[in-house]
Amino acid sequence: MVPNHTFTGYNPTKVQRKIGKHTMQYLKTIGFNSNQPIGRGFNYPYDTAFSADGRIFVMNRMGGLNPRGIRIQICTFDEDWLGEFSTGPGDGDDQFRVPVCMAFDAHDNLYVTDEALNEVKVFDSQGNFLRKWGTDIDSYGSLAGPAGVAHGADGSVFVVEQYANRVHKLTPDGESIATWGESGDGPGQFNLPWGATVDANGDLYIADWRNDRIQKFTPDGELIAAYGGPGDRNGEFHRPSSVAVTRDGLICVADWGNERVQVLDSDGQFQQMLTGEATLSKWAEEWLDVNQDELGARNRSDLAVKDLPRHLQTPFHTASQTEPIFWGPVSVTLDAEDRLYITEHSRHRIQIYEG
Amino acid sequence: MTTDHRNQIAHLARRAGFGATPQELDAYEAIGYEALVEQFLNPTSPGNIPDDLIFRRHVDLHAMQGHNAAYWAYRLISTQCPLEEKIALFWHGVFATGENKLNNLGSLTNQIDTFRRCGMGRFDDILVELSRDPAMIIWLDNHTNHKDSINENYGREILELFSMGVGNYTEDDIKECARAFTGWSVKNGEYMAMMAMKDSIWPYGRIFWHHEYRDDDHDTGEKQFLGQAGPFGGHEVIEIICRQEATARFVARHLYNFFVADEVPVPQWSDTPPRDPDAIDQLAAAYFESDHDIRSVLRVLFNSDFFKQSRFTRVKSPTEVVIGTLRRTGEYQVPDAAEIGIFNIMEETGFMGQKLLDPPSVEGWHTGEEWITSGSLVDRVNFAAQRMSDASNPGISDMVERVTGTVQTDSDPDALVDAAIDVMGPMDVDSDTRALLVELAVAGTREGVTQELVLDLFKLIASSREYQLC
Repeated sequence: MVPNHTFTGYNPTKVQRKIGKHTMQYLKTIGFNSNQPIGRGFNYPYDTAFSADGRIFVMNRMGGLNPRGIRIQICTFDEDWLGEFSTGPGDGDDQFRVPVCMAFDAHDNLYVTDEALNEVKVFDSQGNFLRKWGTDIDSYGSLAGPAGVAHGADGSVFVVEQYANRVHKLTPDGESIATWGESGDGPGQFNLPWGATVDANGDLYIADWRNDRIQKFTPDGELIAAYGGPGDRNGEFHRPSSVAVTRDGLICVADWGNERVQVLDSDGQFQQMLTGEATLSKWAEEWLDVNQDELGARNRSDLAVKDLPRHLQTPFHTASQTEPIFWGPVSVTLDAEDRLYITEHSRHRIQIYEG
Repeated sequence: MTTDHRNQIAHLARRAGFGATPQELDAYEAIGYEALVEQFLNPTSPGNIPDDLIFRRHVDLHAMQGHNAAYWAYRLISTQCPLEEKIALFWHGVFATGENKLNNLGSLTNQIDTFRRCGMGRFDDILVELSRDPAMIIWLDNHTNHKDSINENYGREILELFSMGVGNYTEDDIKECARAFTGWSVKNGEYMAMMAMKDSIWPYGRIFWHHEYRDDDHDTGEKQFLGQAGPFGGHEVIEIICRQEATARFVARHLYNFFVADEVPVPQWSDTPPRDPDAIDQLAAAYFESDHDIRSVLRVLFNSDFFKQSRFTRVKSPTEVVIGTLRRTGEYQVPDAAEIGIFNIMEETGFMGQKLLDPPSVEGWHTGEEWITSGSLVDRVNFAAQRMSDASNPGISDMVERVTGTVQTDSDPDALVDAAIDVMGPMDVDSDTRALLVELAVAGTREGVTQELVLDLFKLIASSREYQLC
């Protein structure tokens, strides 16, 4: 493994975990890995969204030679599994090839992006397909790798076009309203942007992935601020993939390449570092209950890694060898109670924190 | 006509790497042969496709629950330090460790990275790293090698397949060696081995492994090993092994087989002399003169006459066929989530007989002519011929331009064939192959030197016997 920049002596137990007045506390873990393309259990979960009635929608991305588990699952905070839709890969109206992000609008409709089909697909909260758009947008033609999606206060839809390095503002039916951004690392420019969210004031936040920063815009595309920069110290990012803003204005960033989540205040000042502390989910406990040999061996183990050889002291290696901490924290989202959901694609679970 | 210097540079690029494009050859020629050897031996910045781009596009490669040969392939096709990858491939064949038992691609991928990191260092250090590599420990059961109940599996293989070869040690040496490696285990060995055995991904995916030395499980008693006595541990045993003449010759023969010319399979080495005993003597001498430094041995090898005179005497391994072709065609330089071709391609190497990260046994792959079967040959030819004649591949369109740019439309067919062979290698082709190529060129040049004609020549060259050699 070759990290994209050099980390020295990384140890998640030694990072400065909190310096601000705001504190988020670990609450619980949802989900477990599945080797089935249908049914309960996650396969590379990539994003999470919440319907108006509080149900949790989890996108499964899959990949490579085994894409059959692509689907959106529905469960509850108490881990009752309710069902799934859009199962399997395909080009059908309700199917996906490479889903990326999703978000509910104010009418309880779910918008899902697909970076291979270059489409946004819209479903109702029962998982019924409503419409799709993206391949024939006015003079723009096709969306260029749609990734993050978020809804403006006025009902507009913001779609991050990662390959065009821009934000596209559209109507809910996919008619273009405005675009901004271009390739680069200057103010308002992007390098393979990913996640997006809108705060309570209607301002837009973009995870400017390969520029290692978060950029904040007005709904009309005027740059307000940029937070972060390359690195692994507090307030620095390595390939941030997702951002969410609490009702109190705390900015939560999935610091994907650093395998952690950072909480900033509304001015972008570092507040808290989350590195993960997963416990057994209900589904995990149920699985171990019927696999007593593994449960016994697991109980005789110490899964918290203390010291790795120096060449493995990087966020990736530490995360891949330490089960409780984040590994692939790709998405941060907030439910109606402002609880923070951190989706980990490589641990196939969601860790939940509350403020 | 290709110069002898360019031919030698191309030979070095094929053996120390996976071949070179015409543009790369131009740059290598300007560096010069001996300086290029040093550049290959001292990799600095590989400049390969970065992990973040790969992992964003292929999430299963991040979790390493997918087909991780594709992850290695991205590295193989894009590195600017090819010997770093080639030496990792070499040790992967010698210290063959397989996913079929481990069910933990992340730990196996980390082992490959260890070969990349240490593979040209002192052999002593390589064996120490190997002995505490968690994938190797689980592969050969050393986590069950306890001071009060030894498991001699690793103790046997480090002598038989990893250092000295059959006939140079006794069964007692094996047992004493195993005693020395008691306590060399992995963290949470019982649980990790159980998950491996059951191919368990539950509850939260794979957990990669790391080495743990258990002092309380190590046999500190006196041992008799290869004629020496002492309370040896693993480090001391490795030092003794690396001082042996048999080890020097074993390592030399492996390097010769991989980088110079095909040898018989390893099990026959005890009763079949080396193909070139003088070459083995030279490499073994370099091993001792350099205090067991593999980089120094390779320096002697690449600068030797026996190496320079070995052009097209080895059968390409499937990985060399596939990666060499892809580096030339310029495909898959940008990971694309919607494009899984590289996953399928790395399955192809399996169809050709070499599934990376999954060798058939601890003995590794048999090489040379054993790569060629009626089925694998068809796969090898079809793979190369199809890709080398596809002008939509950026590397191929560049090669076509090179040919059409240097050969006049009214050139004679011989000049056209020379130009095509030059950009495809340059290669040494025999008279029969050349006659077929000229025959095609004669028929085609009646309508001028068209792209279609050049692509047909590329296809025929890629289908030739010579393309299967390096």
